[in-house]
Amino acid sequence: MIDRLTSRLARMRRVVDRATLTPFLLRCGIAVCGAIAMLVAWPAALMASRYAALLLIVAVYPAVVPRGRGATLSALVVVAGWIVDTTGYGAEVALWRVLSVATLLYLGHSLTALAAVLPYDAVVNLDVVGSWGVRALVVVLISAVLTVIALGLASALAGGAFLVATMVGLCGAVGATLLLTRLLRRA
Amino acid sequence: MSDQPQAGAVAEPTAEGWPAPAWVPTRALGRTVLLTGLLLVLGVAFGRVDLVLIGAPFAIGAAIGLRRMPGSAPEVTITADTEHLVEGGSVDASLVVANPDVIAYDLVVLRTRTSPWLRLDHADRPFGIVVPRDGWAAVDLSGEALRWGRQDVGPAAARVAACGGLLACRPVVTPPHRVRVYPVTDPFAATEAMPAAAGLVGNHRSRRHGEGGELAGVRPFAPGDRLRRIDWRVSLRTRDLHVAATLSDRDAEVLLLLDVLGEAGASGGVGGAASVLDTTVRAAAAIAEHYLQRGDRVSLMEYGASARRLRAATGRRQYLTVLEWLLDVRADNTDQVPDEHVFGAHHVSSDALVVVLTPLVDPRAADMLASLTQSGRYTVAVDTLPAGVQPPQGNQWTPVATRLWRLERENVLGRLREHSVPVVTWAGAGSLDLVLRDVARMASAPRAGGR
Repeated sequence: MIDRLTSRLARMRRVVDRATLTPFLLRCGIAVCGAIAMLVAWPAALMASRYAALLLIVAVYPAVVPRGRGATLSALVVVAGWIVDTTGYGAEVALWRVLSVATLLYLGHSLTALAAVLPYDAVVNLDVVGSWGVRALVVVLISAVLTVIALGLASALAGGAFLVATMVGLCGAVGATLLLTRLLRRA
Repeated sequence: MSDQPQAGAVAEPTAEGWPAPAWVPTRALGRTVLLTGLLLVLGVAFGRVDLVLIGAPFAIGAAIGLRRMPGSAPEVTITADTEHLVEGGSVDASLVVANPDVIAYDLVVLRTRTSPWLRLDHADRPFGIVVPRDGWAAVDLSGEALRWGRQDVGPAAARVAACGGLLACRPVVTPPHRVRVYPVTDPFAATEAMPAAAGLVGNHRSRRHGEGGELAGVRPFAPGDRLRRIDWRVSLRTRDLHVAATLSDRDAEVLLLLDVLGEAGASGGVGGAASVLDTTVRAAAAIAEHYLQRGDRVSLMEYGASARRLRAATGRRQYLTVLEWLLDVRADNTDQVPDEHVFGAHHVSSDALVVVLTPLVDPRAADMLASLTQSGRYTVAVDTLPAGVQPPQGNQWTPVATRLWRLERENVLGRLREHSVPVVTWAGAGSLDLVLRDVARMASAPRAGGR
């Protein structure tokens, strides 16, 4: 038992010694995105309680193990918190909150995808992180514009949100189907 | 789906035995599909446009990332500058990744292994680089070669992520590139003459009496002496016929016999401590260089189970062949006794000077030296055991056992000297002069029985 603990500590020390700056900063970015998304999505009352620690652990976990299923779990917990807050606690669907949650979820997801293939001790060219970040920001920008337009349409239709959601959802479903078809054809 | 390539993916083995590369979805793609689908369904079900919009970046990211997908695998090559590299010299190696595809690789993670005797910058770390479409990128690994031998740069493996990390390639592995690192030759010079000769070329005069221009002395006339050899001046003075004896103008053959029955001592590379094989190889290279420059013929042989040999030859080409041959010297740790048919005194030219490089750790080496001397070969033993070499500390009896072993070894050395086998410790230039003088004196003395 003590031997296992000692060897695990030695391994951790080795990891800390070998770690390089860029992968470390990437993991910090994942943790920050996850924590802020969790804070924005979940009701403030819950985040002020003792459950906040558990939620923050779930949010930070993908930064520690980016190759596992932690990132998926963390994203699902954020979505669950959003539904709980807007449905259970009756919070208003504010534009800034939708934008924040969508942006932070996607940035966390994208950084996790990069961290999953980038070893913690890698020597990384800055153009790797730069081009990856630019691509993620372009996606975020496009979706932000779409969000503003869609939420504007929903308020203009005054109660036609169901219709807008159906239309957008159907478009998304068609897009997802096309994507999956293409992937299956490749395989 | 996983960030690691899926075990179930089809992988056709190639001719080299590596699995064929294939692009596989990553866990990020699985997450994208799951979140997009879930948020779409929830959004439509609850009539909540905000849920659809939260999932929108995932769908947009996937659409942008997967609009064009890779079809071919990256090509990884290892290059290294191998132009006459000597221990302590600088090595310039590089890992090159070529992208034959129509889309850029977002991230290529390159890993390589290198021989512990090549100190290359950051070679123990993975590298993350971007490779443009239809282009290539290289990672330079420069450093120093620490020890002689065939040292490997590689194998190297590249793992590629494309389409924003949604697809990844199976690791592409390339076999190692072998770098030849030649031994540093210790400065060596032997001014003493060769004890024997056999051929007809070379700069060394022989100790053997025969036809030649070098005066060896004046001796009484004997039946068979040619009349033109009579020294009339001495004959008149002594009132007895005397002839002028000359030395043969023939070349010499040197056989370097390398004892590879075992390795002792830790090698510290070119700047550190030398092991038995280090001393053996560097000394052999130095002795061969010296005698080949003088025009003598040099051959090499291993005393071990494999009994490798290099036939005698002379000149610059033979020197390069010797260096190449020395790169493959390995310790032979088997208990197998070298076969008499594979290795025996009859394989050694009777006129050759045999320089045996041995640590004299294995009793078989002492037996071999004694048998060579008994069979009339001109033999010199060079002790290659490093000073102060110690066995690993086992228990409290190890120092006592080591002392006993040293005493026994001294005893073996003494017995070899009693049997007229000169043993010297390798010390670079002039190491062999004293013993070569003794061997030459013995060679010029009359022998019982003809050879």
